[in-house]
Amino acid sequence: MSLVRPQVAPPRPWTYPVAAEHLMGNGVRVLAHDLPGQYVLSLRVVVPTALSAEPPGKEGIAAMTARLLDEGTSAHDAEAFAELMERRGMVLGAGVSDGGLLVDVDVPKRHLETAAGLVREAVADAIFPETEVRRILRNRLAEIEQERASASHRAAKELARTLWAPGERAALPTGGTRETVGALTRDDLVEFHATSVGPQGATVVVAGDLTGVPVAEVLEGTLGTWSAPRHRQVPPPAAPVPAPDAARVVVVDRPDSVQTEISVGRPGPDRSTPHGWAPHPVISFVLGGSPSARIDAVLREEKGYTYGIRSAFRPRVAGGSFVTAGSVRSEVTGEAVEILLTILDGAARAGFTDDELRAGVDYVAKTAPGRYATADAVADETAALALERLPLDFTTRTLRALPGLTRDDLDAAYRRVARGEWTVVLVGDAGTIVPALEGRVAGPVVTVDL
Amino acid sequence: MPLDYPIHRRTLPNGLRVVVSPDHTVPNVTVNLWVGVGSRHETLGRTGFAHLFEHLMFQGSRNVRSGEHFEALMAEGGRLNATTWFDRTNYFETVPTGAVELALWLEADRHGHLLDAVTQENLDNQRDVVKEEKRQRYDNQPYGTALIDVYAAVFPEGHPYHHPTIGSMEDLDAASLADVHAFFRRYYAPDNTVLTLCGDITPDAGFELVERHFGGLPSSAGKARAHHAQLEPITEPVRVDRHEVVPNDRLHIAFRLPVDETDEFLAAAVALDCIGGLGTSRLVKRLVRREQTALGAHATAWGLVDGASLGFVVLDVAPGVDAATVEAAFAEELDAFLAGGPTEVELEASLAQSERSWLSALASQEERADLISHHLLLHDDPEVVNTHLDRLRAVTAEQVVAAAHRWLRPQSRAVVAYLGSEDAADENSEDAGSEAVA
Repeated sequence: MSLVRPQVAPPRPWTYPVAAEHLMGNGVRVLAHDLPGQYVLSLRVVVPTALSAEPPGKEGIAAMTARLLDEGTSAHDAEAFAELMERRGMVLGAGVSDGGLLVDVDVPKRHLETAAGLVREAVADAIFPETEVRRILRNRLAEIEQERASASHRAAKELARTLWAPGERAALPTGGTRETVGALTRDDLVEFHATSVGPQGATVVVAGDLTGVPVAEVLEGTLGTWSAPRHRQVPPPAAPVPAPDAARVVVVDRPDSVQTEISVGRPGPDRSTPHGWAPHPVISFVLGGSPSARIDAVLREEKGYTYGIRSAFRPRVAGGSFVTAGSVRSEVTGEAVEILLTILDGAARAGFTDDELRAGVDYVAKTAPGRYATADAVADETAALALERLPLDFTTRTLRALPGLTRDDLDAAYRRVARGEWTVVLVGDAGTIVPALEGRVAGPVVTVDL
Repeated sequence: MPLDYPIHRRTLPNGLRVVVSPDHTVPNVTVNLWVGVGSRHETLGRTGFAHLFEHLMFQGSRNVRSGEHFEALMAEGGRLNATTWFDRTNYFETVPTGAVELALWLEADRHGHLLDAVTQENLDNQRDVVKEEKRQRYDNQPYGTALIDVYAAVFPEGHPYHHPTIGSMEDLDAASLADVHAFFRRYYAPDNTVLTLCGDITPDAGFELVERHFGGLPSSAGKARAHHAQLEPITEPVRVDRHEVVPNDRLHIAFRLPVDETDEFLAAAVALDCIGGLGTSRLVKRLVRREQTALGAHATAWGLVDGASLGFVVLDVAPGVDAATVEAAFAEELDAFLAGGPTEVELEASLAQSERSWLSALASQEERADLISHHLLLHDDPEVVNTHLDRLRAVTAEQVVAAAHRWLRPQSRAVVAYLGSEDAADENSEDAGSEAVA
């Protein structure tokens, strides 16, 4: 017995949670989201910086500074600090993007004050002990080797190097290279921390069940006392300039690989684009966001060449990219690349369909309440808004723009990016791949070592 | 803070066990099904089949064309997937409240009437997709096949956990449409399935909808076999060395553990936390921070039901350091732990980290639904979501020591070592540049 397919009732209107805003005595902005039932609180500290302001030859210094924040402070050595965090169920991560430094903490509700105190200690009083500096830098060098061994990491690195102009910070890994990390000293890190990490322009986000939590009081007594006399803000980053010869095919030789990692990219917008952000996630979904999307409908469901290939716009604080990435078995690389580029160019030529527009808009709009349902996810999005210098109603406004999108909006947004010229990076067995590309891709094919 | 996530439970006449757990904070409902079949049910020559079958569940059923399950739900704002593991297969979607009945209709169509639509073409296509999944996640990754070696080293041939869920590609090649039909009839039925609705729905509405769509499916699963008896610890160390091109040597040190949801398993998991699972574990302090012979140390305990669980420590050996030195230090730390037991601080840290990670999992409606289905299917106790932390708090230092003495002795370890080949090692020492910084 089967029943008739049920009708779907339309969802209720939904808006992104509104944060309570508060400015602390030291100028740090606090954004608090009270989310009942979310017993693990998420705390984020956003310090605007610009990766492009790293000293030349010392690229990676911002990321290494972030990693060393909790590896020894004026009050606690690295082990003692780790133990204090762990006994309170706290977990801390810190990293950087092109436009800022982000500290990321999750902690059970009752330990918020301890956590906020430890975060203040990390951002304000990190002392960069020589032994910890040596260890973290050495681990980064080992990590570079691990990233080289991973086809997807290696592809991402080569794509950045090929897509952006030489000398652009975006062309290098965020965590730096063997040469630049090898050039760092403790003094460099101490100086960078003193001048680049401070409360000016900083935002603290706290999200979770705040019932009975005196948020303002707790934060004033901890992160509200953060000062950094030598801290000076730098201008926000500019969008990276594409390489003049970005439109080419680079094969990274990874002998005996059973698959080829494919990465196809183009420069793209950041979320503040004057054309509006709303069409971009819809395009990502329609082209490469599901097994039924244009790419996987052919390469996975029809041909069985891949486990899945995804397309997505990747906004930075300034500028961004549109990247399609995934892996196919080595023997079919030539055909798969040709099909993939045909699909990507075909969408620009012929545009999207009404069905695609509707399905994509519905997916992006209707998944929003679930995508932002946890303290963690809300804290991440609000911290991203702060980092990207976007207004706090950005998320809701973008969602509201979705139902009004037309095929023309999608086509125009995609055509601003897809111009028939792609940066194609293939990581795999060059001996198999290179001959198979002949006649299938335009222009020369360059092979580089792993 | 005692947890009180609501658990409303009912069993349909056809054997389908259902839980509705209302939570109206988000206008979404998660539909989560666990089917009592995983790779542990596979027999020699038929490995990987449960997982391949899971893929076929998206290729159409009586009233649903191939791919439509994904398309129909995503277009309504659904986020969905399915996974296969040793002990079970799960299917899940989180949808806006108004689409929950569509989700149940789609699930009932494939869980009741898959075979009307399965074709040789779909089987061949998804077999290719699964092969690419294996290449991507195992064969083309450094250390990608290490856990497959671990399973084979820890569990004897013929044991349910001896082979990985992804299975062998030769076995997949041998799979026929007849196998698909037999497998569906044997395992896919309401009396071998549980269903959880978690989110913006009342118990009455939830039970009514499940009854409407699943009530008509026949209880037809074959009789479940009894679980294997508890496997005793290994008595002599087992060793597997793989010489491969890897960025640095890596040791996987594994142990058999007691089955899940026993006091002894919880105690053994705490012991592993103290030894290598915490950010302040003994191995991290000594090998990563002080001696700096390892780049990282991690430990995990996977609770399983069929005669054993699995615990393992992963040690990334620092470039230029002999893996044997690191393994010897590991054995020393293990001996010291067996002799002295956990410190109060270690127990406090283990409990605090377990508490945060449990609460974080429950914070998401999707994961909460999955945990409810998990404990409903495998332990017939969905209340575990509320009681687990109380059980963890009750674990004593004595229990931890006793569990470690029984399960985590050095002679009970199986070591899978991924070692750079001679050529690769030369290249690494030159490229790693550790001297330049040190």
